[in-house]
Amino acid sequence: MSPSPAAAGEAPATRWFPPPPTIVWALAIAIFVSLAYIASDVVVLIIFSAALAYVINPLVRKVEAAAVRRTLAVTAVYLSIVIIIATAAFLIVPRLRAEVVTLSSGAFKQQVDHSVDALHRELIDKYPSLRNVLGDPEARNERLSALFQQQTANLPNLLSHAVEIVIVIVLIPVFSFFLLRDSGKLVRLLMDRLRPDQIETSVAVWCEIERVIGRYLRGLALEALAIGTIASTGLWLLGVNYPLFLGAFSGMANVIPYLGPFLSGTVVAMIAMIQFQSFAPLAKVMLLYLGIKICDLTVIQTLTVGRSVHLHPILLVASLLVGGHAFGLIGMIVAVPIVTALQEVIRLLLDHRRRKAGIRPAHHASSMPIQTYVC
Amino acid sequence: MTWHWRDWAIDPEQLRRLNLLAGVPLFAGLSRRQLGKLMVKLFEKRYAAGETIFREGDPGKALFIVLEGKISIARAADADRPLAVLGPGAYFGELALIEDQPRFAGARADEDTLLLILYKSHFDDLIEGHKALAVHIMENLLKTLASYVRAEQSRSAPRAAKGTVSLAEPPQTAAERTRR
Repeated sequence: MSPSPAAAGEAPATRWFPPPPTIVWALAIAIFVSLAYIASDVVVLIIFSAALAYVINPLVRKVEAAAVRRTLAVTAVYLSIVIIIATAAFLIVPRLRAEVVTLSSGAFKQQVDHSVDALHRELIDKYPSLRNVLGDPEARNERLSALFQQQTANLPNLLSHAVEIVIVIVLIPVFSFFLLRDSGKLVRLLMDRLRPDQIETSVAVWCEIERVIGRYLRGLALEALAIGTIASTGLWLLGVNYPLFLGAFSGMANVIPYLGPFLSGTVVAMIAMIQFQSFAPLAKVMLLYLGIKICDLTVIQTLTVGRSVHLHPILLVASLLVGGHAFGLIGMIVAVPIVTALQEVIRLLLDHRRRKAGIRPAHHASSMPIQTYVC
Repeated sequence: MTWHWRDWAIDPEQLRRLNLLAGVPLFAGLSRRQLGKLMVKLFEKRYAAGETIFREGDPGKALFIVLEGKISIARAADADRPLAVLGPGAYFGELALIEDQPRFAGARADEDTLLLILYKSHFDDLIEGHKALAVHIMENLLKTLASYVRAEQSRSAPRAAKGTVSLAEPPQTAAERTRR
């Protein structure tokens, strides 16, 4: 019989205990976030596809409500969207294209030169002391030409990016088609893996995520459309060139909280000043964008609901900064719904935990006074 | 053999669910269109025989509809004597749609069972945008609750009669009389 390690005077071998689940989860999340950061291009592609699927899903469900097969419902909705986009493209794209071509042509550069000259002169006429600060027009024109040349040199790079953009534009609808078609199967697969006692809370959490993100994205799309339409109409009434292009840009820029409206307003104001070769339209454009923002805050956001995210302002700004730093513009757009969804999930899980412990929330219905049952 | 577009376009599983939902008393009076809207909000989950669906005291967050199989509802203290045994078309856990109180009794699958599950969050989402549907379901839910109250009333009536307690009397008076 061999002697025991203790009897032989050896130190007993320390038994390995698995780490607590919290540490395993934290590690898993850390690895996932690191991988997402490394493969940020793929993550952005998946986020866009999922976002598109979220926006389209209610339409698919409407068709599916008539007991239509899922694949057929998704295909029908996709076909309808393609027809709508094709019609819109047929009606709007030639005009939009003409605006973009004019904007990117040499004529526009000349117009910019003339306008900047005129603005320069207007400023110096009004405030002669600014001559020392702004310098003479010749030196400024040289600086501007150098800037244009530098930007033109970057064009081949931009073209190579254009191929990537086209690939992404094709891939996103394809990914979202399959996400939409198979989401039911994925959900069922997940449901079958869950323990019965976990299922209620898990689905409540899922519903909450779906509700927050889905509403936010749908609201965002509707809001962008409304802002784009109002801005286009307003710019057209003010006589600013390229109203369609600038309106579309304003609508899209609006999806970036806080920064978006400021960005689009500035760009439009600059283009208006260049067009009219005066500072006079600045006030009009600013008033228009202020009016749009007020209309957005009071009417559009109320109607689209999705923007009603209940995030603390500090958390909102922090999520924008972190999202922007990690994933650029896309990160800024998706940061708010993701953080809101996380906040809601944490609230739900804490609520569930409190209930399990027998603590009821203060506002709970059972704490309301109940009339005694008589008959 | 003739080809029919309906066979190709309609999902037989979904159609079966739609027909089953039409027969559920809680959804009585809903149009086919409203039932469709409700159907797409439902989750499907399969339970093996003997598997627990929820335990007594668990937080209630969903309504369950039996699609296939058999379910028994029982209190933990009296697990051998189920309060009810439910088959296809029956529903349970409906109070979870009103508030997420702990479950009054537990539910277990007696045989391999397929359930349709309507979660409170989804139900809230649904009724938010469809008032007519909400009114119908709430009306049916109130009728169900009224029938529970009536059943409880008739169960306690014989006991009350012994002590000449009338439910029409204010409770304090009735309690005082019982003490006397």
